[in-house]
Amino acid sequence: MLTEGDPARGIEVVGVRRAFGDVLAVDEISLTARPGEVTALIGPNGSGKTTLMLMLASLLVPDRGTIRIDGHDPVVAPAEVRRRIGWMPDGFGTWDALTVREVLETIAAAYRIPSIQARARVEALLHTVHLADLADRRARVLSRGQKQRLGLARALVNDPSVLLLDEPASGLDPRSRIELRDILRSLAAQGRTVLVSSHILTELQEVADRAVIVARGRSIETQRLDADTVSTGLAGWRIDSLDPHLLGDFLRRHNVPTQQVHGGLLEVEVAGEENAARLLTDLVGAGVRVTAFTPTRGALESAYLAATEDRQ
Amino acid sequence: MSWHGITTVARLELRQRVRTSKWVVVLAVWFAVIALVTVLSYLALHDPQVRSGAAMYDIVIFFVLGLGMLVVPSLTATSINGDREHGVLATLQTTLLTSADLVLGKLLAAWAIAGAFLVTALPFLVWAWVEGGVPVGRILLSLVVLMLVLAVVCALGLMFSTLTARPVASAVLTYLAMGALVFGTVIGFSLTAFLVSDEETVRVHGIPNSWYENESQPFNPDGTPQEPTGPTPADCVEHDEVRNVTHTERIWWMLPLNPFVVVADAAPSDPPNDQGLYAGFTPMRWISAGARMARLGETGEVRQECYVGDGGQEPPDPMEAAAKSAGVWPFGLGFLLLSGAGATLLAHRRLRTPVRRLPNGTRIA
Repeated sequence: MLTEGDPARGIEVVGVRRAFGDVLAVDEISLTARPGEVTALIGPNGSGKTTLMLMLASLLVPDRGTIRIDGHDPVVAPAEVRRRIGWMPDGFGTWDALTVREVLETIAAAYRIPSIQARARVEALLHTVHLADLADRRARVLSRGQKQRLGLARALVNDPSVLLLDEPASGLDPRSRIELRDILRSLAAQGRTVLVSSHILTELQEVADRAVIVARGRSIETQRLDADTVSTGLAGWRIDSLDPHLLGDFLRRHNVPTQQVHGGLLEVEVAGEENAARLLTDLVGAGVRVTAFTPTRGALESAYLAATEDRQ
Repeated sequence: MSWHGITTVARLELRQRVRTSKWVVVLAVWFAVIALVTVLSYLALHDPQVRSGAAMYDIVIFFVLGLGMLVVPSLTATSINGDREHGVLATLQTTLLTSADLVLGKLLAAWAIAGAFLVTALPFLVWAWVEGGVPVGRILLSLVVLMLVLAVVCALGLMFSTLTARPVASAVLTYLAMGALVFGTVIGFSLTAFLVSDEETVRVHGIPNSWYENESQPFNPDGTPQEPTGPTPADCVEHDEVRNVTHTERIWWMLPLNPFVVVADAAPSDPPNDQGLYAGFTPMRWISAGARMARLGETGEVRQECYVGDGGQEPPDPMEAAAKSAGVWPFGLGFLLLSGAGATLLAHRRLRTPVRRLPNGTRIA
């Protein structure tokens, strides 16, 4: 049913703009999210991520630009879009008086899923997000992380082909984060389009195939995050040694630009993991007693910091 | 819009209401208060001469309406902006539910709760019926009108909750609207009455003032003044008189906008035979007759005021005459239902997504 080759599927945003009064929330964002991939939407606070999500979720009309969700325009055909999306908003509430199961069953009814089918679907989702043992508790008593997982289950009730997740990892404990990552990967593996916004870059780096960096309401760049990019990208490495003079001399001799950071550590910039490994081998071969050789930051982090450098 | 969607929303609303509030307690208090009022009015008005059913009927119906207009706005006046504040509205708006489903579902739930309040008051209406003096048809008609009026109140509250960002603001606006309907109409009517009052020349069939001036006192042959005989019906003529006239027929329409007038005028109890309009304590009957009289106002017809002698007319009671004329309530109920429909439509428009223009201070999610 879900074919990755169909060009109409996925999310296609072209030159979208949205202002609230005189506040320009989204200036010009363009992005493509493909089925079968996890696309990360990253950017500083107030960069327009949530506003973009609201437009994708068929709640807001863009002032300009076009949006296509699996080929449908949320302004013209909101029902078609809603049928296909699962939206997990940033900071949402639940009906406190209802139990976890009732919350999901209500959402299923809102999608006009027949109740017998809905019950099975809800049961399966409760297991997916590990809330089965809390199914008959009031939603009010859930912790923040548990509510977050309920929100994810709610976004999955209608078996959406496009998932819009706004900060899904906030409030999750480490185990839940790892589980969320696995859930997202398996959703993408099923051929769904997954768009995730988050601040937690290291996490996104592990789960996302592609990152769209936005700042001040504009999409700055789109970066692929597959193994090739990571292994060839320019990255910083920190080196510590018992022989600092020997290390310094070696690097100078080989014209490796260095930077002294606090604590006597040296930082070098090397393109790709291949070169980094060779540098380490050479250092050890030259008799430098290396005690630490670690990347300073991931490729995504570097890209993000570079893109948002001129932030006010 | 679909029935399934509406009931989904209504079920969700009712479930939350029933679980979060102490509705059993509220209904019990409501029942106790109405019981107290009914028993006291029974004791106060029980009169072997006049069947007290009519009085009890009036009091219970008015009490239910008054209390209902206090309670019912709280069901809807915060329902949409409150949901928005709790962050649970947008998650429904991104499902296949339409804004009509949301509005009508919430309305239906609130109306059902209003109905529960009315049902709790039913035993006392049955009691009034048993006491006699009010036919079942009347009671049923006023219940129908009462339910319609409460539906309008629900719709107004719902509309205000889509118009303001803060639940407090919409609650205040809803109560102000209730106040405008209940007190504003009466105040407006009384204050504009002077605008339509004027000295006017009217045609009167009766004893003209000139009769008393011209009528020189006849004297007996012995010179003592005769006993004055006074005018007889034969002395009645049509003539012009300048009088202070209030044209309430120009401002009567304010009265039936009042929900109390609508409910009262829809089914006033009949005055008992031969005891007149004022027998017993029946505020609904009086309000009804008053509103109808205001509509009749000045007719421009010749006033029959030949109240003299044995052959003269009894002075007719204008209220009695008005009570027999057509009711004003269809007009008022029509107005209320139209406002309710308009309010629902506006709420529906305000809930439509995707949103093009967001009012200041509101968040979509």
